Amino acid sequence: MLGVPRSADAEEEQPAPPPVKTNIDEFMAVPRGPHAIPGPHPGKVVQMSNPASLTEAGIDAEVVRQMVLGGITGLTGGSLDDAFRASMSVDDVVGIKVNPVGPPLIAVHLEVVDAIIGWLTTCGLPRDHIVIWDRFDKMLVDAGFTPERFPGVRIAGLQVLAEEEGEAWQDEAGNHLSQGRFDLDTYYRADGVLGQTVPGYASDDEYLNQHVFAGERSYFGKLVSQELTKIINVASFKNTGNGVSMATKNLGYGAICNTGRLHAPLFFRVCTEVLAAPVIREKLVLNILDGLRGQYDGGPMMNEPFVYDHHSLYFATDPFALDMVGHKAIVAKRKQQNVTVNEHPRYTQYLHDAQALGLGVVDDANLQHIVVKQ
Amino acid sequence: MIPALPLLVALSVSVAPAEGLLPGGEFSPGWSRADETEQFGPSDLYNHINGGAELFLELGFEQLTVARYRAGDDELVAELYRMTDPLAALGIYLSKCHEETPDPALGERHTVGRYQLVLVRGRYLLILDNRSGKEALRPVLRAAAADTAGRLPAHAPVAPFEVLPTADRVPGSLRLIRGPLGLQSVVTLGPGDILQLDGKVAVSAAYRGGDGGTLARIVVTYDDAAQARAALAHLDEHLDPHLHPVSHSAGRLVYRDWSERFGEVIVEGARLRITTGLVQPPAGSPDE
Repeated sequence: MLGVPRSADAEEEQPAPPPVKTNIDEFMAVPRGPHAIPGPHPGKVVQMSNPASLTEAGIDAEVVRQMVLGGITGLTGGSLDDAFRASMSVDDVVGIKVNPVGPPLIAVHLEVVDAIIGWLTTCGLPRDHIVIWDRFDKMLVDAGFTPERFPGVRIAGLQVLAEEEGEAWQDEAGNHLSQGRFDLDTYYRADGVLGQTVPGYASDDEYLNQHVFAGERSYFGKLVSQELTKIINVASFKNTGNGVSMATKNLGYGAICNTGRLHAPLFFRVCTEVLAAPVIREKLVLNILDGLRGQYDGGPMMNEPFVYDHHSLYFATDPFALDMVGHKAIVAKRKQQNVTVNEHPRYTQYLHDAQALGLGVVDDANLQHIVVKQ
Repeated sequence: MIPALPLLVALSVSVAPAEGLLPGGEFSPGWSRADETEQFGPSDLYNHINGGAELFLELGFEQLTVARYRAGDDELVAELYRMTDPLAALGIYLSKCHEETPDPALGERHTVGRYQLVLVRGRYLLILDNRSGKEALRPVLRAAAADTAGRLPAHAPVAPFEVLPTADRVPGSLRLIRGPLGLQSVVTLGPGDILQLDGKVAVSAAYRGGDGGTLARIVVTYDDAAQARAALAHLDEHLDPHLHPVSHSAGRLVYRDWSERFGEVIVEGARLRITTGLVQPPAGSPDE
């Protein structure tokens, strides 16, 4: 299995590096469009909870479907059709960004995606306008996101990664096989932060295999920048060290390449700044946390002793509000379980930074967390 | 343009598992091991572990062998980690446990759930994954673990936690710390190797506090008292900016954190005793 999502703790213990200049100002200089995050419901998070969603028998797909539909209408305040047409049209190409890490317990459950697809198609979106995607193609398959399981829907990884002996990842010219899948005109830039000699990688070759490029630029996948017109972000409900790996990390580290270099100097900043890029900011219309199960420690990889049945799905147009609610829930669970909690402000600073940029609303006074128990 | 680079990275190799310590499948009728196993060293552990490799490396990792076992459609995946020493293996084991839920039929120290079994013996750590979660595979999981444990070398027990008090200790909260990453999971005191562990093992645990919450205790044992005092001085000098010193002396530091809780660091001979999450300033500090 890949070494992509590293623990936040691993990044945060390093001595404070000098400030890194990124191209966030260029992102923010682009005028905001009508669908820019935080969307029509800044600071609002709807949590749908139903103990029947997950039992000893497994996941009840119909209960999950009702939770998804109830969450969407609860968030938007109108009908399902109204919710669709408020942010999408039948001409859109809608990408459902899933988190496939940690099956079978904490990867996004297939039944949640089934329900989303059902909503979209009922509203008239053709199945071939739907793309289930992640950064790595193999991880999608590993988690069960296959064409056989989702007929008529496109399944797309931004890149290949060779894991087996003899498996190719370079062409004859030495270029990564997935190089052409990234948009060289659309990137997150971190000046002076190079993907070479990054600790934890045996060689620059190994880095390139996993990250495609190794310069100062992390390119967005062409799927994201050129093909998708709307994005629905479906993330897991889990910790990464003392922080969370939820909505913003799912996209922040899932939509671009060359991320290994970013961990040490910019770990949580990436979660804010990549989402500020117009190719994400203007397309991201809905965020869902799959909290049917949660994991309060040992993340981002699956660790069964820390996995619990949470029976909840969370909905928001504002990904930062969603992560703040998720962070609070994980902290509360850790305390309930008597796990030592390090609540240092650095673990939520990126959410407050997002609010300062106008990308979300996370302060207690304006955060609206609505719990619906079914 | 990326320059042409030869494929130098051996992503997996078809060799026998480390020291033949993983069974061939004979632990249960109908099971067999896939021909190829994978091995990973410190430089490429990231290629296998999806997050968390850093803690293995910090505690002391040498080699990982991965084997897959199949019986019809059922599959188990075994990961056998050889760590540098028993403390490193125990440290990883504890980080993956919380409260242990052992199977009484399996003697070696372990915890088991429906999907995973984690076992530690000496400097070896075994993780068995039952991807399907089938209850029917529990006996197979146990048998595979017992078979593997029987192949692992005998070991002398380690007892690093005797320096921690037992009263009010939260079950399942014992942790081993060998560097900044392990410390960070408990408390942020400052940058880098702020306690100057330099590979030394510190121990920590959570305790029930008087207010119904928890506090954490950390004990570091240095080579001598001078090292302990030097570590305190280093901490005092580089204290995290969100921690505010309340009082400091050659043998003691009291600080207040961002949430108005207190921490205390005391030198006791060659040991540093740290308590975090105190609701009231400790006795003898100016705010008391």
